[in-house]
Amino acid sequence: MSARYGMVIDLDRCTGCGACMIACAAENNVPPLPQATARTGLTPMLVRKVSNGMNGTARREAFIPIMCMHCEHDTPCVKVCPQQAVEVDKATGIVMQMPQRCLGCRYCMTACPYHARYFNWWDPSWPAGMEKSLNPGVAVRMRGVVEKCNLCHARLHSAKEKAAAAGKREIDPADYVPACVEACPTGAIRFGNLADGNDPASQEARSPNAFRLLARIGTEPKVYYKSKETWVRALAEANSGRTPETSPEVSSEVQHG
Amino acid sequence: MKVTRRDLLMWSAGAAAGLMVTPVPWKLLDDTSIWSQNWPWIPQPARGPVEVKQSCCTLCPNGCGMRLRMAAGWPVGVAGVSSHPISRGALCPLGFGAHQLNWHPQRLRAVRHRGGNSSWNEARTAFGKACSEGPVVIIDGYPGRAASSMFVTFAHKRGGSYRVVQGSETRALAPYESWSGVPASALGYDLENEQTIISFGAPLLDGWGSPGRFTRLWAERAAGATDPQLRVIQVEATFSRTGARAWQWVPVHAGSEAALAAGLARVLLEEHLVAARGPMPPLTLADAAMQTGLTADSIRELARTIAARTPAVAIATDNNPAIAALNVVLGATGARGGIVRKSKRVQPYVSADAVIPSTRTVLIDSSVPWDFVPQTDAEVFRFAAWDGGSSKADWLLPAPGFLEELTDVPTSPTSAIETYAVAPTLVKPSQEVQSAAQFLGGIEFTLTPTDKLIHARCEDLFRGRTGSLIGQEATPVAKLASVQKLEEQLSRGAVWVGEPLHPESLRCELKEWPVTTAFSHPGSWSTTWPEPVLPPLASKLYQESNLREPPEKRTA
Repeated sequence: MSARYGMVIDLDRCTGCGACMIACAAENNVPPLPQATARTGLTPMLVRKVSNGMNGTARREAFIPIMCMHCEHDTPCVKVCPQQAVEVDKATGIVMQMPQRCLGCRYCMTACPYHARYFNWWDPSWPAGMEKSLNPGVAVRMRGVVEKCNLCHARLHSAKEKAAAAGKREIDPADYVPACVEACPTGAIRFGNLADGNDPASQEARSPNAFRLLARIGTEPKVYYKSKETWVRALAEANSGRTPETSPEVSSEVQHG
Repeated sequence: MKVTRRDLLMWSAGAAAGLMVTPVPWKLLDDTSIWSQNWPWIPQPARGPVEVKQSCCTLCPNGCGMRLRMAAGWPVGVAGVSSHPISRGALCPLGFGAHQLNWHPQRLRAVRHRGGNSSWNEARTAFGKACSEGPVVIIDGYPGRAASSMFVTFAHKRGGSYRVVQGSETRALAPYESWSGVPASALGYDLENEQTIISFGAPLLDGWGSPGRFTRLWAERAAGATDPQLRVIQVEATFSRTGARAWQWVPVHAGSEAALAAGLARVLLEEHLVAARGPMPPLTLADAAMQTGLTADSIRELARTIAARTPAVAIATDNNPAIAALNVVLGATGARGGIVRKSKRVQPYVSADAVIPSTRTVLIDSSVPWDFVPQTDAEVFRFAAWDGGSSKADWLLPAPGFLEELTDVPTSPTSAIETYAVAPTLVKPSQEVQSAAQFLGGIEFTLTPTDKLIHARCEDLFRGRTGSLIGQEATPVAKLASVQKLEEQLSRGAVWVGEPLHPESLRCELKEWPVTTAFSHPGSWSTTWPEPVLPPLASKLYQESNLREPPEKRTA
């Protein structure tokens, strides 16, 4: 049976510590890039700070981790890629990026409604000797290709190998946990198979406080968010044509070209 | 056949036009691009057997449990250890990039003397000569280790003194030391039984204490609830990360925390919201309101809110005696859910902040990335793995880096129970390094080396027959067959956890409301914290995103 891997992120539990960002970069051999800026950096997992736009004691802030949403329906990046370098894996629902096919046209970055894709502007490099700390399960990607979250696909491979070695067809869910989920100190990110109604992540995705970013465009993202705060839930449709007075301020100035 | 100039031009133009309709140029362009993307010098991950080791983080005194994935003998990934009794599977963001720190460009790789290269022999000779000429002060950046015992013995033998660098969490516990006689390093916070926490600027959700302990607690008992089991009230002039996630943020004027603590204590005592355990502060409520920028009514309301849910405790960021006195009034000292005593063994430390009258030599063991810089005229020998505050030392001596030496991990400063762990050597030192303990052992041959001291500590634990060893499962020490078993499990990442002491083993006597100006640092031995050396991937947090301010913008 095919799985549909996804996440539910409880924004009321996110403290914006950034552990998920560092753990993601370390797991996926993302170089430190001392010359990069917010515009040219590589952050497959990016935590943005948002606020309700008020001042004084009425001010509220929250942190929203943004990564590839693994859109299920009419996946925008898949539709525009001229190289078939992006595809939705039928067995897992993971939107896969194949750097060997990518020619670096960056159409997919333009098409992505979540700005969750990044261009690899430089040859990957680390300070002398630091290559010994690279994760052997993940290839170092070359300059000139687009990068994004693949739900730590190497960990899925390891889990499959482990299951195969034990003579099993299905993986043990405990063996496949993406690095950001493992790193979150408050347990705000719940990962699982959304197609399995008994999976805790699947059940949380059906919570009345769960929502998806830009759900109105109909791409069926597999990353859900959860918050009891009304103003946080309203962010899901921010920048949807509403005036600044009615739309909560998004204080993050991160943009990607 | 004669080839004219016109023929040549026509042939060239035709060839160029023809080539453009073939795939050849595009294929060549593509191949060139792929070839140039895969230069042979582009780093590739090391190949080799993959294994998982368990240890403790040694980058700060909190000693969080760490699981390291090793490939070909090198750590390639870090994760938390869910069975760790204090960190409970969590790590700070820096911990996830810690395995790359040993190759940081600021790694200290050779002995340096006043900007020039030197050698270990010259350093040893110079240190021996300096010690014979006058008193030596040893400053320990990470007290409580076996190496610390060596420093104490060395200082004692040479007629010198031993000082420690106290973190803000330990400094905040200093007032109770003078009121109870119990060393600040033997105190901790019983957070697990708390119902209300009034944080006076403490970054509870941003690196305070062992990051996993409070964040896990907050996530389980406070996050997202309108009326949470654990109320976190953040008193702070600015809207911090902790303030943003707290149940209530109380903005006060910067520096008026002592006035608010006095105002709250006055309301608590006047309205009999607590049993009269402490002295009435001399500050009136109107004065407290004026100094803090709050109204008298809002201070009164805040005091009632605190008293409504007890146990409650106030947490400070420095040795502010007014905040400590508020805890005495609240009955939060020596009580469940308050400031408790965790150890009977710890000796009181002398802080490196205290003035030292005349010193010939200072040896600093600051192999943690957060360096301590004393302002002194003495000859300074600094052991450091990273070159954070290099310009302040006469001698810079390269110390072992992350997991490059065997060390023990004493109790976290904020913990309510005593713990002990061992971080074995997991990483081969990348260059010629020596720890301060090894260096002193080469000068004073009678010193017991750290591995034997760790063995002696394990023997003490085994003979004590108290507490449990928390590894894959909890095993009471009394059930262990031998001290070797205890040592073996500790070296595999298990943690010894002591029995909690009775809360009333701490008694604070406070007759008068303390003067609040007593907590400033002395100027003659003033300290600064230089820009920390962070794992290279930390730049993702402040350079490739706006999540945090870059280190150079942060004030010390």
